[in-house]
Amino acid sequence: MINKKCFAVLSIGILVFILISSTFARSLPPPLVINITSSKTLNGIAGDYVTIEGTITNTGDKPLNDIVTYLSLVDNGTKLPVDLEDWSAEKGLHIGTIDAGQTLPLNWKIHFVKAGTYSLIIIAEAAGYDLPQTSGITQFNVNPKINLNPGQVLPVALGTPVFLIAIMFLLAHRRRVGNE
Amino acid sequence: MFKYIWKKELQGELYTWKSMLWLVIASLLFSFTSYLLLTDRELSLLDQTELMLLLSQIIIVVALLIITIDASSIITAEFENATAETIFLAPLSIKDFLLGKFLASLTLWVLLFIVSLPYIIVASSGSHLTMAFIGYTALLGTLGIVGLVAFIFAVSLLLRSTKNTLTTSLITVLVLATPALFSTTLKNNALSQLFSQIDPIDNMFSSLDNVLVDYQTSLLQNWRFILPLVMFCALMFVFLVFAARKFNEEGVIKND
Repeated sequence: MINKKCFAVLSIGILVFILISSTFARSLPPPLVINITSSKTLNGIAGDYVTIEGTITNTGDKPLNDIVTYLSLVDNGTKLPVDLEDWSAEKGLHIGTIDAGQTLPLNWKIHFVKAGTYSLIIIAEAAGYDLPQTSGITQFNVNPKINLNPGQVLPVALGTPVFLIAIMFLLAHRRRVGNE
Repeated sequence: MFKYIWKKELQGELYTWKSMLWLVIASLLFSFTSYLLLTDRELSLLDQTELMLLLSQIIIVVALLIITIDASSIITAEFENATAETIFLAPLSIKDFLLGKFLASLTLWVLLFIVSLPYIIVASSGSHLTMAFIGYTALLGTLGIVGLVAFIFAVSLLLRSTKNTLTTSLITVLVLATPALFSTTLKNNALSQLFSQIDPIDNMFSSLDNVLVDYQTSLLQNWRFILPLVMFCALMFVFLVFAARKFNEEGVIKND
């Protein structure tokens, strides 16, 4: 009888332990290390395209499946996340499986759209983990592109209305002279 | 005789502030938009083909609006200023009267197109599409404007009021321009596809897209867009003939 009770208590205990340990495990981020290696080349001027390079390493002892990495960009001026619609053609990269100890390269081509200072991180998610893993923050500057005469349009943009106004006054003058 | 009417209109319009001011306003609009578009291209936010397409659409829309406003008063002003009776006392047929007025409206389009030429050349510099840009803007704009002016003149003869003609014409232009604003998703609808196929403004924009973005520059490749425009012109010409006959039956002084 005692053995039966002990067995039941032990079984419940093991079940509770499995449930707690699995929940605890799921609330940890995956054992990945993400590094951004191109931080020195990220500064540029609006309109430039740059490549963000990095690496992702599985530091665990098991392969990790369904790994997806993506960028997060925050405008330091407005303290708001940037909509990557115009900034990057590839917002997320699906990597798939990374074996234990394996390191894979990452790269994104991004387009500097607006001048300002920005914080960039790479985020990775893996199947079976509720929390994502993140890289360190990389700061970069986008300087404004100041060109007062884009595409040599200024002479035309200013000259044509001025030329027409001059003709308008010339015709008005001719009309006045004709009336006199 | 139509040359006299044409010359009179040109003198009346070009030697006053009215038409010249329209041209200055149009050139300011073209300056502003081409400067903005070229700045965006410098920032790599806009491709040159997209830039040319947007500029061509702006040129066509500005021309359509200015000519709608001008053509809406060019005939009705004769009734409202009571000069129509004097004109028709002269040995002048309705055909000559309309042809003179028609050429005056088309001259305004030619002037607007000449004003837009420097902008077209600057926007398309470096691409191989300058001649196609100029040629198709001229062809499609002329077809659209011929049809529109015929419609406005027919409405003018039927209504004989600047206010009513202008309101009807502007609403018509807005209705015709609406499908051109539809997104690609909305154009998947069968009804919208049918309307797009027959709508002159949508066909003008689709043809410009075909030429400037998809590099389909031959007339054969654009025939499916040009044909509805030719049909539109023919239909509006028939409407104008009907309105002119009705005008002849009613006489200059309408007995309501």
